[in-house]
Amino acid sequence: MSEVRRVHDVSGVPTHAFSHHNLVWWGTVGFIVVEGFTLFLMMASYLYLRLNELDWPPGDTRLPELLIPTINTLLLLVTIVPMAKASHAAHHSDRLAVARWLWLATALSAVSSVLRVFELRGLNVRWDSNAYGSAAWGLLILHTTLLVVDLFETGAFAVLFQLGHAQRKHFPDVSDAADYQYYLSVIYVPIYLILFWGPRLL
Amino acid sequence: MVTIEDALTEQPLDPGEREKLERTWQPCPGFRGWLTSVDHKSVGKRYVATAFLFFLLGGLEASAIRLQLARPENRLLDPDQYNQIFTMHGTTMMFLFGVPVVLASATYLIPLMVGTRNISYPRLNAFGYWVYLIGGLFLYSGFILNTGPDSGWFSYVPLAGPEYSPGKRMDVWAQTVTFTEIAAIIAGIELIVTILKQRAPGMSLHRMPLYVWAILVTSFVVLFAMPSVALASQMLAFDRLVGTHFFNPAEGGDPFLWQHLFWFFGHPEVYIMFLPAAGFASEIIPVFARRKMFGHTAVVLALVATGFISFGLWVHHMFATGLPQLSQSFFTAASLMIAIPSGVQVFCWIATLWAGRPRFDTPLLFVLGFIALFVLGGITGVMVGSVPFDQQVHDTYFVVAHLHYVQVGAFVFPLFAAFYFWFPKVTGRMLSERAGKWNFWLFFLGVNITFFPMHFLGMMGMTRRIYTYLPETGWGDLNLLATAGAMLIAASVVVFLGNIAWSLRRGGLAGENPWDAHTLEWATSSPPPPYNFTHLPVVEGLYPVWERSAERPVVTGLSAERREILVTTVLDAEPDSRHENPGPSIWPLLSALPVGVTFIGGIFTPWAFVIGPALMLPALIGWGWPQAIPPDDRSIEEVAA
Ligand code: HEM
Ligand SMILES: [Cu+2]
Repeated sequence: MSEVRRVHDVSGVPTHAFSHHNLVWWGTVGFIVVEGFTLFLMMASYLYLRLNELDWPPGDTRLPELLIPTINTLLLLVTIVPMAKASHAAHHSDRLAVARWLWLATALSAVSSVLRVFELRGLNVRWDSNAYGSAAWGLLILHTTLLVVDLFETGAFAVLFQLGHAQRKHFPDVSDAADYQYYLSVIYVPIYLILFWGPRLL
Repeated sequence: MVTIEDALTEQPLDPGEREKLERTWQPCPGFRGWLTSVDHKSVGKRYVATAFLFFLLGGLEASAIRLQLARPENRLLDPDQYNQIFTMHGTTMMFLFGVPVVLASATYLIPLMVGTRNISYPRLNAFGYWVYLIGGLFLYSGFILNTGPDSGWFSYVPLAGPEYSPGKRMDVWAQTVTFTEIAAIIAGIELIVTILKQRAPGMSLHRMPLYVWAILVTSFVVLFAMPSVALASQMLAFDRLVGTHFFNPAEGGDPFLWQHLFWFFGHPEVYIMFLPAAGFASEIIPVFARRKMFGHTAVVLALVATGFISFGLWVHHMFATGLPQLSQSFFTAASLMIAIPSGVQVFCWIATLWAGRPRFDTPLLFVLGFIALFVLGGITGVMVGSVPFDQQVHDTYFVVAHLHYVQVGAFVFPLFAAFYFWFPKVTGRMLSERAGKWNFWLFFLGVNITFFPMHFLGMMGMTRRIYTYLPETGWGDLNLLATAGAMLIAASVVVFLGNIAWSLRRGGLAGENPWDAHTLEWATSSPPPPYNFTHLPVVEGLYPVWERSAERPVVTGLSAERREILVTTVLDAEPDSRHENPGPSIWPLLSALPVGVTFIGGIFTPWAFVIGPALMLPALIGWGWPQAIPPDDRSIEEVAA
């Protein structure tokens, strides 16, 4: 079969691209939407259960502690800084700078994860005490799961870049990981307010 | 006679091109290839086949239900078996067949239709399939071991809670649901990205085929509907396993929380099945009417509107729970509003057929059957959408009739149409038309004979989910009729299976475009090669194959040495970047297994929630491990040097 064909040449189109030019970024956004919406539904469920009680926390349940969660919320927000730096370095293909900032972010995330143990304890209620306890644990555990997964991911990237195993296509991945970290930190603010200020104010 | 080889009509510009593509995109050989495949077509095929297997199982359960109800005081099934069987039927049809088959067929079709080489995240796609398979096998293992769920497909608490459903039955249900939700969310994300970012150059949004629109909207609905039920099923699991009180009123929990979370998913789910089905109809009708679709833009708007409205409707499943007046009126209005976009689509389909020169092959017959049944199911839907009527027929066979007119009529029929339509593309062989017509007429008659009488049974007071009834009720004759209808449906499915078995070996060869259709999947061989297109097409109109000019424009410059795909812009589909699509991998399977350990093990010990993720870790490391470095992606050191 002989056909005349007009040709649309794409050999000049870049093979490495950041943010919305990159396919992986879209997947990250997809997961942020799904996870964010799941967290939103969990927050909504917490507030829905609130409507069933006169007092919140109900009965003689103690108020949750405030200090550690406040510190951890701030810490999560601070983690944005090294991630932003890592992302910036990734845009400039600066491998060692990326590794350095990722190590710092990993360290901060690790501290956050450890503090989470104390946050859970500081809820001052068990998950099987009453629905208030179930909802509080549910919300906090959900975010903790994401936090721990993210900790491993950031750590893995740090190793990858430190040892020089990273390829060029991993630079955009760092900037996606940073976007994910921003979301994880920022969404903790409403969770923190609901869980630790809610019982005081609602 | 054309052979499949001849069907590769399109000669590459560079003679060596196709060999290179073959080498780059070839799967691993043999059984290993089966386990490691990341080709959207092989995964899609097996996904569809698995879902159809569950359809057959759900159908066997339906037959058991109908045989039991055929006459009063029948003793074929005891009440406990009956409870398990109708729950298995509903759960199978909704969670293991309905949603999966929709997304599975889309993972097969969408990359071809938008003119790209593979789906956006092929390993994730394979992972989703394995998770789904584990979930389905798990549910049926439970059923075989007499641990099948028995609280109905929506598992209302407190019935499904720890107090009234001791044992593991409802745990099996809750975890199965979680598996299929994970798989669905994954498919939804991949499809959205493939549609938004991998369309062939020139396929701007307003040149996008209607089925692609339907899947785009569906995928967004999936993204927002599925988290709700996944969350709910985990809450249920935790209530049952570790003593949380989400749904336990004695400790401040609330059964209505379950209902809200479930129906926030459950209602849109109907549209997750209906929207793609409507998309099938909108693809098939123009081909067999042999003219362009009437009102393309109106149909697009209707699809998008349906997606939005579907989220405003969940409460109509809870009218009988005594919600405040205002919200009842609001949700009634919203429920009736959905009739508008549906009406627009029906109107456009009829107008297209009217103005065309219809060719009544099997795909079109199934579409026509669909329109008829859908209109009827829609009318009864509007009826139950109004609160006073709903109060009357709530939990009766009227609802069973309505829901099956919608599910079977507006979902299974278009799906069969699609099966007949795309079978030649997938296998290279045509299905028999004669058997197809038997298939259709037996099915159409069967559905009406089965489900139409149920409207009357419902108004006569027959409640759903009863395992038997007394002769004095006078329901015997209509039930017998319904059972006879169900046997016709079964016969039609047997014809269908026979047709597939016969046609796979003896069916006429399809060639590239046997129906003279217009979308891009018909511009490559049947079945398509692993890389889909030798040269990616450039799109210049809404009906690319019909409007193709003599000088077919194609894309060049994509590497044939690496699995390179072209990423394009969201609105205008202009080349944006090139992306390397990963090759065969065992890690999706090895990552799915720990997910199985986590949720299945979690039924027996909370430690599974530690052990599973711990096993997951090495799998994820294997997954993320940098692959061999291709020539033009040297490590960073070299770049710096
Ligand atoms: C093809 C022939 C089918 C027959 C003969 C059939 C028959 C039935 C019958 C008689 C019931 C009522 C059982 C009861 O309430 O005691 C039922 C329930 C149900 N069916 Fe089907 N069905 C068929 C196909 C389907 C399909 C294709 C779907 C969905 C895609 C479906 C979804 C359901 C659901 C969700 C229920 C409710 C289960 C529950 O109450 O928990 N069915 N079916
Ligand atoms: Cu509904």
